[in-house]
Amino acid sequence: GGYTQSPGGFGSPAGTQAEKKQRVRSQNIVPCTVSQLQAAEQVDETFRIRGVEISQVTVMGIIRHAEKAPTNILYKVDDMTAAPMDVRQWVDTDEAGGENVVVPPGTYVKVAGHLRSFQNKKSLVAFKIMPLENMNEFTTHILEIVNAHMMLRKNLMSASRVPQSFSSAGLSDMGGYGGGGSLSVNGLTAHQSQVLNLIKNCPVPEGMSLQELKLQLQNMSMSAIKQAVEFLSSEGHIYSTVDDDHYKSTDAE
Amino acid sequence: MGDVHEVPRKRIATGHLAQCIGQPVCFVGRVEKIHPTGKLFVLSDGEGKHATVELSEPLDEEISGVLEVVGRVTNQATIMCMSYVQFREDRSPFDLELYNEALKIIHEFPDYFPFG
Repeated sequence: GGYTQSPGGFGSPAGTQAEKKQRVRSQNIVPCTVSQLQAAEQVDETFRIRGVEISQVTVMGIIRHAEKAPTNILYKVDDMTAAPMDVRQWVDTDEAGGENVVVPPGTYVKVAGHLRSFQNKKSLVAFKIMPLENMNEFTTHILEIVNAHMMLRKNLMSASRVPQSFSSAGLSDMGGYGGGGSLSVNGLTAHQSQVLNLIKNCPVPEGMSLQELKLQLQNMSMSAIKQAVEFLSSEGHIYSTVDDDHYKSTDAE
Repeated sequence: MGDVHEVPRKRIATGHLAQCIGQPVCFVGRVEKIHPTGKLFVLSDGEGKHATVELSEPLDEEISGVLEVVGRVTNQATIMCMSYVQFREDRSPFDLELYNEALKIIHEFPDYFPFG
């Protein structure tokens, strides 16, 4: 747990407690650069940007090209981070020309849509394309991209590797973003949570060793790590495997 | 010469020009002055620092306000402009200083705002 909804416009609208898992689900709408979308890796039906699952995204860029076909409008949207991306907007053929007016090239737009890949080529299927009326929204979008991807990655890494520069950049001061270390939901301290999360995410059969934990947790002394391990073990969160230096999580992951 | 619009163009301010010689860039700034020939104009960035933009053909329209220029940085640390767009300010003025702060952030965290 620990993923909080931000006022910044992304987050599951349904947001039931039961659906909150450590892994960020794709109900979120994530602001992205075209370069991030191009770099997204696809496994089956899922796209991931640096491990973070994405599906619905927003991009902002300038229309370089617009082509109207009977059933859809194909745009090329350019945000300078890569070559322009194909964005397809399906036209409602029942409506007599009302909804889908072609946005002219040279216009800055906000696009909300789904990422698609076909024959190794990425594109977006847009459910909303809106010309920007205030270019300051573009500046905000830039900041939202950095914030969103940083927060999503941080949640993925489960607070075990928050770099020093993260909090000094002032981003962790923003209210409502569940700042680093506030993982007291399960009654564990930040140190205990960090140790537990690392052990949980370790794929090796004999579990995680104390030496590995020390390598990963630069900010904790060996005695602090041992204390956390002792506590977690006595509480039943972890158990020792081949010897007293190796531990696995009791939670099936 | 490749089309600079098909490659990543790093968003920069005047201070970055010297490090970006030869590279495709995107520069946003306010129009300060236009040379009488129409082939050169000066933009100021969010810190008020000036950058010179050159054109291969003279301007065929009036330009003013905030411009977003796409081009390549020359050896003289000017920008050879391939295209430009005027930011609309009919509803609200564009906060160039805030944009400059955003540039600092994306330069500091290239992992989360990659160019290319």
